[in-house]
Amino acid sequence: MNELERAGNGVDGHALSMPQTLTSLEVYDQYGAMAYGIILQILPQVHLAQEVLVSVFSSPQLQSCNSYPFTFAACVIKLARAKAVEAKRRLTALAPAGPDYASGDMSPESIFDLAFRQGFTPEEVAGKLNISKNEVLRSFHEFFKSYRNA
Amino acid sequence: MSKQEFIESGILESHLMGLASEDEQQLVAEMMLSDVEMSMYVNDLEEDIKRYFAQGSVPPPEAVREIILLRSIREKKGRSSYHTEEKAAAKQYLDVEVNDTHMKVHKLWRPAFIAVFILSKIFLIAGLYFYFKSLAQQEEIEKIKTEMQLNKK
Repeated sequence: MNELERAGNGVDGHALSMPQTLTSLEVYDQYGAMAYGIILQILPQVHLAQEVLVSVFSSPQLQSCNSYPFTFAACVIKLARAKAVEAKRRLTALAPAGPDYASGDMSPESIFDLAFRQGFTPEEVAGKLNISKNEVLRSFHEFFKSYRNA
Repeated sequence: MSKQEFIESGILESHLMGLASEDEQQLVAEMMLSDVEMSMYVNDLEEDIKRYFAQGSVPPPEAVREIILLRSIREKKGRSSYHTEEKAAAKQYLDVEVNDTHMKVHKLWRPAFIAVFILSKIFLIAGLYFYFKSLAQQEEIEKIKTEMQLNKK
């Protein structure tokens, strides 16, 4: 399953709080800056990031956010990350990045960075850091918990 | 797994960021459906995640909005024209299977064919006429030449 398919998952789930139906432009006006920020974190090349941003808000998957069981913001975050990671993978396939992650930093921040910004799956992060997948997932919880308490 | 353990497992965060596996997504959906408190917790978590990412917002250039606007208009037009074309086609044509060896052409082809036929005959006759005329002239010239040569002698 690729990143985009994963992002689309849950779309057919049961709606808890049905969000209002929005057009692509309305969603862009609300979450465009947030999505652009996310894309730039993953893909720092400005022009590429803008292309990805356009593809996020022109994507038919965005319309499926109307039936997404969570808020539009969560759907946009998933979609922006998925598209940016995919573009980054295409880019690194053309020009491979540097050596694998070997800093050994296992703080929730760096684990979150590896998974969200570097585009690794939790399994891959676990493999890189020689920890279990459950520990990786727990780090996500710790990361947002510390953010909430900060 | 107790509710607290589930919350601390990080599956919810992973799900909201699009990193969860299918099994984990299923688990989240089940937990949220069965527990109102859990769904409220997820709503709060969503807000936190949204707030976190909103902090890193970067206003995109105005041109990006224009491109998205143009694309959405084009998409709408494309969709509506496809539907109208489909409807019009359904109204105008009947699916009839034709099984003969004849071909129908426009009415204007008939005078065009006749004109081409007549012109071809005219050019053929003219060609033959000038060919035989030039032959006769050639013979005449030859005849005159021989007569002149005889007169010189």
